[in-house]
Amino acid sequence: MQPTRDFREVLSYRELIFALGMREVRVRFKHTLLGVAWAVIMPLSLMALFTFVFQRVARVETGGIPYPVFVYIGLVPWQLHATILNQSARSLVDNRNLVTKVYFAREVLPLATVLSALVDFCIASLLVVVLMAVHGVSPGPGIFLLPLVVAVQLALGIACALILSGLNLLYRDVQYVLQVLVMLWMFASSVVYPIPTTGLASWLTWLNPMTPILDAYRTLILSSTIRLDPALAVAAAISLVLLFFGWRWFRRVERRFGELA
Amino acid sequence: MGLPRRLIRGGRKDGLGEYEFWALNDLSFEVQAGETLGVIGPNGAGKSTILKLLFHIMSPDKGCIDIAGRVGGLIELGAGFHPYLSGRENVFINGSILGMKQREIRKQYASIVAFAELAEFMDMPVKNFSSGMYARLAFAIAAHAAPDVLIVDEVLAVGDVSFQLKCYDWLAQRRKNGKTTVIVSHDMYAMAASSRCLYIDGGRMQSIGEPRGVIDAYLARSRQARGGEGRKTFVPGKDGKARAEITQVEMLSGGQAAETIDPGENLLIRFHYNAHEPITSPMLALSLFHADGRFPITTNHYLFHVYSGDLLKGQTISGQGVLEVEVPDVHLPVGNYRAKTYFFEGHATNLLFEHDGAAWIEVTRPGYSDGRAMIDHRQNWRVPVKATTT
Repeated sequence: MQPTRDFREVLSYRELIFALGMREVRVRFKHTLLGVAWAVIMPLSLMALFTFVFQRVARVETGGIPYPVFVYIGLVPWQLHATILNQSARSLVDNRNLVTKVYFAREVLPLATVLSALVDFCIASLLVVVLMAVHGVSPGPGIFLLPLVVAVQLALGIACALILSGLNLLYRDVQYVLQVLVMLWMFASSVVYPIPTTGLASWLTWLNPMTPILDAYRTLILSSTIRLDPALAVAAAISLVLLFFGWRWFRRVERRFGELA
Repeated sequence: MGLPRRLIRGGRKDGLGEYEFWALNDLSFEVQAGETLGVIGPNGAGKSTILKLLFHIMSPDKGCIDIAGRVGGLIELGAGFHPYLSGRENVFINGSILGMKQREIRKQYASIVAFAELAEFMDMPVKNFSSGMYARLAFAIAAHAAPDVLIVDEVLAVGDVSFQLKCYDWLAQRRKNGKTTVIVSHDMYAMAASSRCLYIDGGRMQSIGEPRGVIDAYLARSRQARGGEGRKTFVPGKDGKARAEITQVEMLSGGQAAETIDPGENLLIRFHYNAHEPITSPMLALSLFHADGRFPITTNHYLFHVYSGDLLKGQTISGQGVLEVEVPDVHLPVGNYRAKTYFFEGHATNLLFEHDGAAWIEVTRPGYSDGRAMIDHRQNWRVPVKATTT
């Protein structure tokens, strides 16, 4: 394991990551009537659903933030995360013909999926602005720190992508188990309701990196002062450690991918 | 395979597990820069495994591989082609997969399209391409991506004759330009053009060296393996057996069974046939096919053909009989020949029986006509043993 050499190798495939990522984006919207609009329709319809459930049926306290704004800002990054988990887990298996016929750094395939999920994320993010204007919410000054949060989330996402894609090649069970796990993970994170920072449920804040990440999006966009939760530092540390070891493991099993696929 | 081992090391271990075997063993060879190495051997010999090892798709459990320079592979044409995307979009994706930079692809795009002869189809989704168009586009990209060391697996077998010739030209050009190529093919013509050949069987090296000798060794072995058996096809009669068959064909030279036939010699071919049912206007024939595939266009065309013509026209025969033909002054190019025999009914209208590989004969000495074949030989037919005629 030589991290700098490995990193340089993966970096040398940036054009291929881009080409394959864009292939996924293009293919996803080919033969659809609404095309790119789906990137917005998905989180928007989930927003409508959760707004109905958590505002009409059960009242959720969101600290003065209009619930649709609260949930949409949670849903857009969550969709990014969920897409990365589900799609990248399949990336090596679905591209079996490439894995067994052409050589390139295998990280390219999960990374291309991350990239294509990122495109949807960017499109869906545009609607946050519209939504805030409609509900009369003005953005806070911390908005310029958002790239930092995105970076932490991507570190976590790439770590998961590498680990899950490799695992799924060894055991295809992974892609089925994931569908349930992703759902559970969503309800263990502050996507549709805030996770209490005190009491019994507070461990979800400290051990689940997604909660501080999602909270950071909301605080930075909505709060009138710049404030970052120390839990985000813990989340960043967990993500980086996971990325480091996940990638090391991926590198080690990668040499067998040609036979396993 | 234990769960922890599989998770931690991706299944690597020392012993063999269930359904596992050594695909390659005790194999060492070197390829010099600028060489074209042809890898030959029967199916399952381990040829593709060699290529996948050279191309980093698999890694050896034991032993090592050293390659100077960047390796590119052509193991499958159009890897990564997406059916929904247009020809143009796929050029950029596939080129990138083959290691080209986007700038390079943009620069070469016009040339790729021209090579593929698909200028007016580039905006069409490739799912609407014919398989020939698909192969042409894929090959055009690969030809432009050509790296210093290229690994080619059988891909040249696809496409029509003109496409194949284009591929051969391109390979020859590569060799002229001093590029290194390792190629697997069953086409002995392509293999004969390489600088050296490697013959493997059962995962082990049989021989390596100058192509002609290695190819001959391989063909001799596979001919032995195929033996006198060959492949028979026939039209069944009422009892499900052949209505008529050629039970044996002898090739004789100077009164003796001929293993070889050299230019200028006389060849006597003797057919032993058996008509299980009465056959009207029978005609017997024999063709010789060049078994080395040294003539790519003629792999399905004979270089030598004799037929009994009008000899038994109008007659109805049944039972056993012998027919022979003398062919004086035979001129055939050097190589191994596979004989195929035919039994027709109603002159040449109805093929009742054919036997591919009924006999083998070899031409070892080049004659004045080498490189060309004399297909139109004189034929003197005789009927030494006549079957019952009615």
